[in-house]
Amino acid sequence: MLGAARRESEGARMRIPVAATILALAAAAPSASAHHSPVMFDQTKTITLSGTVRQFQWTNPHCYIQLVVDGTEWNLEMGAPVYLDNLGWRPSTLKAGDRVRVTAAPLRSGANGGLVLDVVSLDGKTIGRPS
Amino acid sequence: MSAAARLAAAAWLLCAAAPVLAEPEDWNGVWFTEQGARTQISGFLANDDAGRTTQLPLINLDAPWTEEARARFQERLSQAAISKSEGWGYPMMMMSLTPLEFVVTPEQVLILTTYRDVRRIATDGRALNAPEDRWVTAWGESVGHWEGDTLVIETVAVRQPNLFFRAPPFSEATRYTERLRKVGPDRIEGEMTIEDPESLTAPWTVRQVYVRAQGLDRLVMDTFSNDRTTLEDGVFGILPPQEPAD
Repeated sequence: MLGAARRESEGARMRIPVAATILALAAAAPSASAHHSPVMFDQTKTITLSGTVRQFQWTNPHCYIQLVVDGTEWNLEMGAPVYLDNLGWRPSTLKAGDRVRVTAAPLRSGANGGLVLDVVSLDGKTIGRPS
Repeated sequence: MSAAARLAAAAWLLCAAAPVLAEPEDWNGVWFTEQGARTQISGFLANDDAGRTTQLPLINLDAPWTEEARARFQERLSQAAISKSEGWGYPMMMMSLTPLEFVVTPEQVLILTTYRDVRRIATDGRALNAPEDRWVTAWGESVGHWEGDTLVIETVAVRQPNLFFRAPPFSEATRYTERLRKVGPDRIEGEMTIEDPESLTAPWTVRQVYVRAQGLDRLVMDTFSNDRTTLEDGVFGILPPQEPAD
């Protein structure tokens, strides 16, 4: 249903206690951007958010999508503009009012935020470069 | 032999003896490490549990570290989850996820990242400064020369600890020797040999392949003016956006 909140946990992919997962990632996950570790996000889970873009920030060190889902605003972090640019995104790719479905890894803190993994337009727009 | 013929022969000999820098523009442009080319819109690699420990070749506890250096490296990695960085620094910038831009001239090669890392590699024949005159920086002091299609670089005077929170714990006495060979229009194969009398028990050679970026033709620099990542009591969060003042 467009505009409605649809938060789905797709469940744990790794059957490891959370504390153990944090330690393991801290030690062994070198696939980080230069700015901060990915450990702030729970990458064992994904959430799906369908909502309306209030703001798209094309900024360093991260791009952000402010997404309103059932009246609640989510802070959704992306990579730096250079990574998006390489994948066909531009500052105009998302505009206020666009309706999108975002798949994200949630913040471990439980706050309304996450790391954007995928964005699909609900308005039929092409987002990024087709892979 | 006529004067013209002698001139032509001399010109040919000069060309044949000169460093092979016939197509420096072929190096110019934006490149990714092979692993960096797979970076997603998240700024990270896709969940790839099998490959995580091998994505950044310098993050390797199995290198010939001294026991003391290995312990320091393990301690640094244990703190990485609650650390933030302002950039990569050298040598991490050469083996990270972030794209690199090569700017090649006859006198120097610049290697840039969007984290505002800038390496200046003199290729005009100068030598490294005398040890007492070296300026220790996050990117070090480099000189290079061309051996055919290979750029050979010597780097010293790299400040420690470096910028990236997982950077290996080399000492400032380390000497880095890189050989970057362009093996095709869109591929450079590199190796870096690291000699550190203080933290390594033997020279350590690390290999890295670079591929030309498919969606970028230049890097755009910017400050970190919109850093919304918070860190309080060891817990990361995302601040709401700053709204423009009325």
